[in-house]
Amino acid sequence: MIRSIDEYLELLKIELKDNDAATIQDALADAEEHLRAALANLHEQQPALPEAEALNQVIEQYGSPDETASAYREVERRTSPGMRREIPAQQESGFQRFFGIYNDPKAWGALLYMLISLVTGIFYFTWVVTGLSLSLSLAIFIFGLLFAVFFMVSLRGLALLEGRIVEGLLGVRMPRRSVFFQKDTTWFERLKTNLVDKHTWLSLVYFFLQMPLGVIYFSLIVTLFSLSIALMAAPLVQTIFDFPILSIGVMRYYVPSWSTPLFLLVGFLIWTLAMHLGRWIGQVHGKYAKMLLVTE
Amino acid sequence: MVDSPAVTKKFQKEMNAGIASLVLLSVLEKSSEPMYGYQIAKLLEEYSSDASFMKQGALYPVLHSLESSGLLESKVEPSVSGPPRRYYEITADGRETLVTWQGVWKQMKSFVDRAIKGG
Repeated sequence: MIRSIDEYLELLKIELKDNDAATIQDALADAEEHLRAALANLHEQQPALPEAEALNQVIEQYGSPDETASAYREVERRTSPGMRREIPAQQESGFQRFFGIYNDPKAWGALLYMLISLVTGIFYFTWVVTGLSLSLSLAIFIFGLLFAVFFMVSLRGLALLEGRIVEGLLGVRMPRRSVFFQKDTTWFERLKTNLVDKHTWLSLVYFFLQMPLGVIYFSLIVTLFSLSIALMAAPLVQTIFDFPILSIGVMRYYVPSWSTPLFLLVGFLIWTLAMHLGRWIGQVHGKYAKMLLVTE
Repeated sequence: MVDSPAVTKKFQKEMNAGIASLVLLSVLEKSSEPMYGYQIAKLLEEYSSDASFMKQGALYPVLHSLESSGLLESKVEPSVSGPPRRYYEITADGRETLVTWQGVWKQMKSFVDRAIKGG
């Protein structure tokens, strides 16, 4: 017999242990929200009902941990996260696989992610550095504690936001809602829970590193893109505008006209390779984000 | 003889799989404001009077899946007592889909009824 909501959540977690971390987080949040609301409601209607009896009734209606777990597994099996495409079983030639990248939403999503990660990276970094230094310096005042709690809660919000971006663009399943506190905890207890929660520190590290990573991703993609465009455009630009590919002093160097197709081909190949690189980085980054941002 | 409660339970579960989406979408379409899981479960409890067709916990994964298909949208709001609540609302796509699904349901219903009656 289950004696508390926390015990129910523990059992549900065990039932779901082989599932995706994000599914587990969703399932636990749903169960906690529902069971607490149902229990409070039942207490209001029948104040005389003993706690254990009330909990039993509520769980009876909600479903035992194994029933609930199987409902999530069932639905999760039928739905796939954003943009995931099942790879067809038939063999594709290397050529098809190489150029098929243009038809892969994951590669385009990853490119977009690498571009915006510069902006989000700078924002996260600023937020984390400001929040951390203010939390530390205000710690000598009582309201400094309140500020620290606010900052840590904001980290959870940011983690959720980043999770949505990662799922949308990189196609890695991330939680759809944040972890939350129990209602009857004091500010001080919340601060303590947050301080000992490794999730808080991991997301802090993630946001900190997101700026250098964002700079690297952005530069990499912009460099490769410019290089590829430049190579493809050089022969055409020199024909139309008489613009040399290189000029040193008075010497002007032109590309011989026979090599035009070669330039087009190399530029195109570089861009195709960049797309492959982008997709690979996207996958690695998705795994890394999941490791640091999703609580087990 | 076969283990009838278990067979019936399995039958019920298989039926619920499709129907839950239609029911949830209908409930949210009728509602003038966004609803959270427990509210929906309460309402369904009223509709089903004594019989409970499915466990309330099974509604949530269906809500998530409807949301990821774009038929519902949701937002989390803090509650006065207890953890924050996720409020669900039907989207324009959801309304359109519901009309189609209602058509499918009507056809299914008359088909099944005729099959049971036999003509």
